[in-house]
Amino acid sequence: MSSLLPFTSSLLGASRRLMWKNTPGLSPLLRLTPPAPSWVAAFGKKDLPDLPVLLEEELEEQFVRGSGPGGQATNKTSNCVVLKHIPTGIVVKCHQTRSVDINRKRARDIMREKLDVAYKGELSELVVKKKESVLRKQEKRKRVNENLERKRLFNEALAVDNKPGDDNA
Amino acid sequence: MKFSQSSLTWYTFPNLSLQHLLQREYTNTCKGRYLKKEIWRCLTRPTCSAPAFPAGRITALQALDVWKRHFVENGVTEPEQSSQYIIAHLLGAKTIESVEQQRLAEFLSKEETQQVWRLCSKRLSRMPVQFVIEEWDFRDLTLKMRPPVFIPRPETEELVELVLTDLQNHPGSTETTPTCLEVGCGSGAISLSLLKSLPQVKVTLSMIFKNIFLVLLLCCCFFCRLGLQDRLKVYHMDVIKEQMPGLFSSISVLVSNPPYLFSEDMATLEPEISRFEDRAALDGGEDGLNVIRQILTLAPDFLSNRGRIYLEVDPRHPALIRRWVEDNVEELRFVETRQDVSGKSVLQRDQHTFQEF
Repeated sequence: MSSLLPFTSSLLGASRRLMWKNTPGLSPLLRLTPPAPSWVAAFGKKDLPDLPVLLEEELEEQFVRGSGPGGQATNKTSNCVVLKHIPTGIVVKCHQTRSVDINRKRARDIMREKLDVAYKGELSELVVKKKESVLRKQEKRKRVNENLERKRLFNEALAVDNKPGDDNA
Repeated sequence: MKFSQSSLTWYTFPNLSLQHLLQREYTNTCKGRYLKKEIWRCLTRPTCSAPAFPAGRITALQALDVWKRHFVENGVTEPEQSSQYIIAHLLGAKTIESVEQQRLAEFLSKEETQQVWRLCSKRLSRMPVQFVIEEWDFRDLTLKMRPPVFIPRPETEELVELVLTDLQNHPGSTETTPTCLEVGCGSGAISLSLLKSLPQVKVTLSMIFKNIFLVLLLCCCFFCRLGLQDRLKVYHMDVIKEQMPGLFSSISVLVSNPPYLFSEDMATLEPEISRFEDRAALDGGEDGLNVIRQILTLAPDFLSNRGRIYLEVDPRHPALIRRWVEDNVEELRFVETRQDVSGKSVLQRDQHTFQEF
């Protein structure tokens, strides 16, 4: 992987160090609003390694488990995790599995993707990958059309060649 | 394979056929009969009646709505979640959010509708959802659930996370294959998680539950499939009553979610717990520390040097436990108390240290 590029936010005059992996040519002026988080170990997604990392202090987690006793004294099945990123106000809700632990991890993965889109906009991983995919499809379609065109021309040429032969016979 | 040595019986799992053996044992032994009586007792309590079975066909969404309202009318807790989990399960998904909207709007077949009515009626008797659908998730595992085996709580997932993090970061002196001992394993959730996540770990379980076969069945179905047979041993013993010097040794990690409720709290438990889960898995005595004290007393004999104990305890316990350990168990040193995310129970670590002579 490429080396880390140190980047200092000048927008708010804060002295936080912001480190983005692998973002060459990204001008600070393109930075959207406010303070991007600093870095801790992430729940890494293998296929999208350049997503922003989350700082636990900036997250507010909410379990819909209600009041009353916890632990062995209760058996609540609502394991929906609601995660809020305080600086940006982005909220992620995850109820994909019946395990709180897995829901928490997945909520963080989704939050990273959303933060990526929020911070990088056009340059975020998701948008870039989507564009790449659209581009690939367009190119494939173009190649297919070209092949079809070539075959059509070939067949036409073949038909033209056969005609004089018939005349001669 | 079943071994016996005096009064102690333990099990290892050489092959898959054991699963069939256990199934037979479970249904045939008097312990199986005891369990069936227990379940029958729970199920045949006077219950509220189910709503009328629909004359025509209904969609999943309509069924959700009918049952949610019926649960509300009859005071069943978590009415919406209950109907959602049950119907999602019948549609082959874990949560209702995972089911496609299109599928929810389709008509259910007659068999599906009957299943919905059958399972939701069980929930009417306040049977926990986990026992109704007979399975539940614990971290990345899906485990079989049968009453009255204690249902793993989400807080215990954090306990496992803590143990795993420590095992990965501090593998311990010279241990390449650390051995863990879980006391009071219930459905085996903690141990199975450890086994699955760390290929090098070996686990020993001990439990007192009367129907050993049920628990073994629950564990066996899972780990035989994963090929974990040679890494797991199960002991059927009562940690409080029986003391077996030299039985366990060189344990790197002792982990437990022991019964820690105060006896006075047992009276205010919701019906899902008091009617369907084993009381012995919950009641920790007057101060909730009966089993915990016993574990801590015996632990130094089991643990290797620098071995660790991980316990899930009541939020009122940490200071009490620290004091008690300082006064009574010289070889143990308190390390850390950590609160779980919901702030309602606590995970505690103690570490074994040898006295230097």
